[in-house]
Amino acid sequence: MRLYYEIALRSFRRAMTYRTAYIAGLLTNAFFAALRCAVLIAVYQSSGVDSRVAGFTLQDALSYTWITQSLISIGAGWVAFDIMLTIRSGDVVTDLMRPWSFWGYWLSRFWGERLFNLLIRGALTYVLGILYFSAHIPTLGQAAGFACAISLALLVSFGYTLLVNLTAFWLIDNTGVVIIANILLSFFSGFLLPISFFPPVLAALARALPFQAITGLPAQVFLGHVAGPELVQTLALQVWWAVILNGLGLLVLQLALRKVVVQGG
Amino acid sequence: MWSLYWRLVGARIRSQMQYKVSFVLELLGFAVTTGLEFAVVVILFRRFPSVQGWSVVEVGVLYGLSSIAFSLAEMFGRGFDAPFETMMQRGAFDTVLLRPLDSFFQVFASELQLRRLGRTLQGGLVLAYSFAQLSIQWTAAKLLLLPVTIISGTVIFGALLVMGATLCFWTIKTPEVINALTFGGQELTSYPLSIYNRSIRNVFLFVIPLAFVNYPAVLLLLERSDPFGLPAGAAWASPLVAAIFLGIARSFWQLGVSKYASTGS
Repeated sequence: MRLYYEIALRSFRRAMTYRTAYIAGLLTNAFFAALRCAVLIAVYQSSGVDSRVAGFTLQDALSYTWITQSLISIGAGWVAFDIMLTIRSGDVVTDLMRPWSFWGYWLSRFWGERLFNLLIRGALTYVLGILYFSAHIPTLGQAAGFACAISLALLVSFGYTLLVNLTAFWLIDNTGVVIIANILLSFFSGFLLPISFFPPVLAALARALPFQAITGLPAQVFLGHVAGPELVQTLALQVWWAVILNGLGLLVLQLALRKVVVQGG
Repeated sequence: MWSLYWRLVGARIRSQMQYKVSFVLELLGFAVTTGLEFAVVVILFRRFPSVQGWSVVEVGVLYGLSSIAFSLAEMFGRGFDAPFETMMQRGAFDTVLLRPLDSFFQVFASELQLRRLGRTLQGGLVLAYSFAQLSIQWTAAKLLLLPVTIISGTVIFGALLVMGATLCFWTIKTPEVINALTFGGQELTSYPLSIYNRSIRNVFLFVIPLAFVNYPAVLLLLERSDPFGLPAGAAWASPLVAAIFLGIARSFWQLGVSKYASTGS
């Protein structure tokens, strides 16, 4: 356990080192959030500012935009590709030979970096939302629920990232898979638009897929749209997808190790 | 100069055409991915009747023009993106400076990404559908305005790519912020400029003239008026604006080159 903690800690510190990179990233996210908010304000004005659309008031929609943009750096919209780079270069062999769990190693690295992104980059982005668009400030209960939901979301997101990355064992150049994986994630997770805005068929599809467990559900918990027994249900759903995706990931990893010849030399 | 350009770029095109299936898939991939952007607009319009009196097909004209211009800028201008960045990181820009040719021209001619036509196709479809739904009184002037606007828009987006690349002379890596202006610019110009607040409007009219990519031209085509008094005739100023902006980008590039210190190795 100590080992994985140390790996996560180093990953956290590494993320902290690139200060200009995260400040630039943060401003980019904030700029996009501001643009989307302008669009939302305009569309809500056309149907009366006080109206509630698909359960969202204008203020809810603005807060939703800011929270999802703040979650970008923890994987709300795109998958990371560190693992597939090591597969392409052949470095993966060294990692596999080390006396640790390959899954545990990457999960710790992932957690370290994501935790930094959540606590510093994400939080600062959201503060801009609070300052300029009076984004929702969660109550203590909502914040606690969000802490649970986002931890589970990280696990789900890791399982999905692992699966997408492992395709590189078979495909080497898996750019196509990554493009499709990102489309599915950004659209069906509710990152581009809340799922309740979708037409019924698409909404039903989105609710049957794992992606909402990564972005949409934690965002709704944060806004207080999901509370009480519903919150328990939401968390259970996230646990379910975390287990399924990570289980599949481990299974695929076993298959890959049995069959595949590694690149490089 | 132009015959040399076609020779260099022709080689790039032939190499991209080597894997025809992969090329077609990438083309379609781009069309679908970028199509998702417009799907989000359509879903939003199913929930809300209009954006400040603009219907979904009117927004489609804005979106289509901007998407086409952006895709062409990416097709011609991506030499200033990844290939150039790698060149900077490896210190290979030294070689470019040694050749008896303008460095700007060499980087420009180093890449032409045909797969970006996938977005052109998608933008073209949205534009064609929107025109079919609207009853526009076509005149010779309006027909002429279409290519003029698309070319000006391409130049404006292209100049932004150049400016982003130029920052590399100081930062070595292309900063993420430039994405806010290119992709963000595409998103910004997908909606009428009048929905943004005064400072955003002024910045994108007078500092980074992204508004000229489509907004005045669409005002003129649809015979609409801007609530803040921007004359629709401004559409005819877009080539001039684009030329000035490209000139600025070109001078900035020259400044960057003069500050170039090789990374060496």
